[in-house]
Amino acid sequence: MNQIPSDLSLLPWDGQPYSIKRHGVTITNCDSEPVQTPGCVQAHGAMLVLRPADLTVLQASENTDRLLGHPADTLLNKSVRAAIGPDGEASLKAFLATEPTDRNPLYVFTLPARHDMPPLDVTAHTVDGVTIVEFEATGRTGAGEPDYYALVKKTVARLQTAGTLRQFCDVAADEVRALTGLDRVMIYRFHADGHGEVFAESKRADLDPWLGLHYPAGDFPQPAREIFKQIWARPTPDVSGDLAELVPLTNPDTGRPLTMTHCALRGASVMYTEYLKNMKVTAGLTMPIRRGGELWGLIACHHYAGPKHVPYQVRAACEFFAQVVSLQYQAAEDREHLVYRLKLDGVHHQLVAQAAQEGGLAAMTDGTPTLLDAVDAGGAALFHGDRWWRVGTTPSEAELESLGKWLNERPEFASPTRPLYATDSLPRDYPPAAAFSAVASGLLAVPLSRTHRNLMLWFRPETIRTVSWGGNPHEKPTVPGPHGPRLTPRASFELFQESVRERSLPWLPVELDAAARLRMLVMELVVSRAERLADLNADLTQSNEELDAFAYVASHDLKEPLRGIHKYAHQLLEGATIVDEEHRRKLDGLMRLTLRMDSLLDSLLHFSRVGRAALQTEETDLNEVLGESLEMVGARRAKGPTEFAVPRPLPHANGDRVWCREIFVNLMTNALKYNDKVEKRIEVGYLHPDEDHPRPGCPEGSAGHAIYYVRDNGIGISPKHFGQVFKMFKRLHGRDEYGGGTGVGLTIVQKLVERHHGRVWLDSTPGEGTTFYFTLPGREGST
Amino acid sequence: MPTTTRLPLVLVIVEDSDEDFDTLQEAVKRVGLPVEVFRAATGGDGLTVLRAQAPTRPTLVLMDLNTPGTDGREALAAIKGDPALKSVPVVVLSTSANPKDIVFCYSAGANAYHVKPVRHPDHLTVLVDLLTYWLSRAVLPAGESGHS
Repeated sequence: MNQIPSDLSLLPWDGQPYSIKRHGVTITNCDSEPVQTPGCVQAHGAMLVLRPADLTVLQASENTDRLLGHPADTLLNKSVRAAIGPDGEASLKAFLATEPTDRNPLYVFTLPARHDMPPLDVTAHTVDGVTIVEFEATGRTGAGEPDYYALVKKTVARLQTAGTLRQFCDVAADEVRALTGLDRVMIYRFHADGHGEVFAESKRADLDPWLGLHYPAGDFPQPAREIFKQIWARPTPDVSGDLAELVPLTNPDTGRPLTMTHCALRGASVMYTEYLKNMKVTAGLTMPIRRGGELWGLIACHHYAGPKHVPYQVRAACEFFAQVVSLQYQAAEDREHLVYRLKLDGVHHQLVAQAAQEGGLAAMTDGTPTLLDAVDAGGAALFHGDRWWRVGTTPSEAELESLGKWLNERPEFASPTRPLYATDSLPRDYPPAAAFSAVASGLLAVPLSRTHRNLMLWFRPETIRTVSWGGNPHEKPTVPGPHGPRLTPRASFELFQESVRERSLPWLPVELDAAARLRMLVMELVVSRAERLADLNADLTQSNEELDAFAYVASHDLKEPLRGIHKYAHQLLEGATIVDEEHRRKLDGLMRLTLRMDSLLDSLLHFSRVGRAALQTEETDLNEVLGESLEMVGARRAKGPTEFAVPRPLPHANGDRVWCREIFVNLMTNALKYNDKVEKRIEVGYLHPDEDHPRPGCPEGSAGHAIYYVRDNGIGISPKHFGQVFKMFKRLHGRDEYGGGTGVGLTIVQKLVERHHGRVWLDSTPGEGTTFYFTLPGREGST
Repeated sequence: MPTTTRLPLVLVIVEDSDEDFDTLQEAVKRVGLPVEVFRAATGGDGLTVLRAQAPTRPTLVLMDLNTPGTDGREALAAIKGDPALKSVPVVVLSTSANPKDIVFCYSAGANAYHVKPVRHPDHLTVLVDLLTYWLSRAVLPAGESGHS
């Protein structure tokens, strides 16, 4: 007796229980199809649904007459004995009492051939309070049974020798094909976004290869994925075969439709069969590959030469095989990831060693290997030392610049333990990336410094550019089935294209780990370099200070004996006993030498003070400084007319007023001193960085600053002496020529300019004059 | 010009260089005042001499900065930190015009700072000038000093 179910919302088909036969064509959406309660079995087999307590038939497939010799309605409410005889009933009862059949279909016995009916394999399982008994042809032709146990054992042994995941899958595909005799066996692998890839394939020689093709996630609807987490084999022996509806359609005890998840005979989804038909598939068998509770992929078998029934015994072997593959696959994948990890780490260590040797991270994009050699990516970029270093295919520097700014704000980068950002769909997080999604739909980024300015990035191109897809988009569409063109390869491709737009292949956990480890290595390198640099700087600072202190103390202490010497010479000279002119001349010389040494020591003292004194840089009006300098120079001006020219007012500079004055004083003093012209001329001016002037001898890096100059019409300096003029105590002329001097003036100028982070150089023509140039960038660090 | 004095002027000089001390004595001779000179070769000795002289109150201390042992800087600080001695004028004599030393000495309470020139006549002139000034021109706290 049919009962109308009370919960109509479960059965939205005009208030009727669902049956593929009756409602299949109304299905519009894969995900809404009740694939676990199809109401029908595949008509090559028959089904009885029993009440476990008394093994009374509650439901029967409408084709029992053909396979069991009794019409379905004659079996209802009868004992199962009516269908399988007393022996059969006894076997079934005993089996159910002892075996774990809950959601686990097991072979019970073989019902022998009767009249014109073939022998049938009987399997049984219980679910939702009913016992389901399935009948299928044994497929035995009378020849001896192959030893499936031996076959599987041999197969597993072959699997264990496979080195890589791909070899492993190749073996699995070959073995399943050998076992089943089906035309094509594919190992599908699901990606993180749900789309599938044909990872391994074994096929009849004349078929087109599908290896490497990708299929959209929609080709494997979610309900089907759920089922494959629960069963180990799904046979579809005749894609175009008939369906046999259950009589009645719902359980008369409960009014519920029958859950057929674990039934081998479960009527196939209309979407699935239509999809297969569109691919000219006539029979299929599918087994899951699971990792933990998740579906890693499928072993999908297609047959093209008409119906192909894979008997229970063979399927059982295949199920067992699928389980073995699932277990062994994990080991193979772990092995492969380990190999990949080792390769990544190996290359990364090489990179860091290379960077350490070359003294710069740039080597990671310029040298061999590069950042790209490690990770499977299309391009890599490094931001370090205020510039980008790129290798492979990457966005432009301008695009990287904006991306870098955006990345530095990412919350992921604030993680104290593992700052890392990875995506397989950058435009989703960062819309401007749509402009370069072709090369960088996928991004893996790690910051390299605590201030987060330095970055290491890897890019992956859009998937659509890197993979082949199932269904040639240029192929003529096949005649669509009742569910329209969406199940055809062409439409499937369009869906696929949509699903992978602006997406890359996902980053593997092993790749993320490797990037995080490389970051640590690089940071260690950077830190150790910084520490070494800091140590060197500290050493240098200390030795500079020691040198200065030494110069100071030495010259100070040297003065005392000098004073004594001078005194004795003086006293000897004063003493009345010295009359000899020769002696007098020598004593004079002695005193003159002590005085010269005194002035040398004074210069040394002054120089050491210039090096040690704290610079007080401030906005300084150089015109005022020049005015003061002129007064000071004027006080010791040489005889004769002097023209002093300033073509235009000097700009302000960031400098120490006192020391800037000393620079001008020294340069102008020299300009007057080393000048034999009757009319002496000094010009002080500057060159603006934007102005087009010749800048003879201008050192690199100084062109961006204002260049000041002091020009004279003096005796000039031969170019071969340009380098020597700045040396301490180096004089180019005789001791008493040009007014004498200690030869420390230009050394002090150089020191002062350098302490303002500037450069000083000169240009000169002997006999015509000399121009000294200098810059005053004034970025004074801590002293 | 020397005037009648009840007691000789007392000059304490801290100077480790014999030559420089010799020059000082020459300068004292040129100044022509009745000066009793006490010499100490180190700052530490100088302090000892000063404290021994305390009852009669030395008129002037000449302090060389770089002496062995307790140097002139420390001795200067000690004098200016001692209520019994701090009113005694201390004139620093140094070989160089290191700005750091100059700032230090004046901050520590030095009454003057002079550089000893290498040229002997100049050196002598500096000493004669400063002795004349401090021993005969300047008005010093106690009544023992001479006045013009």
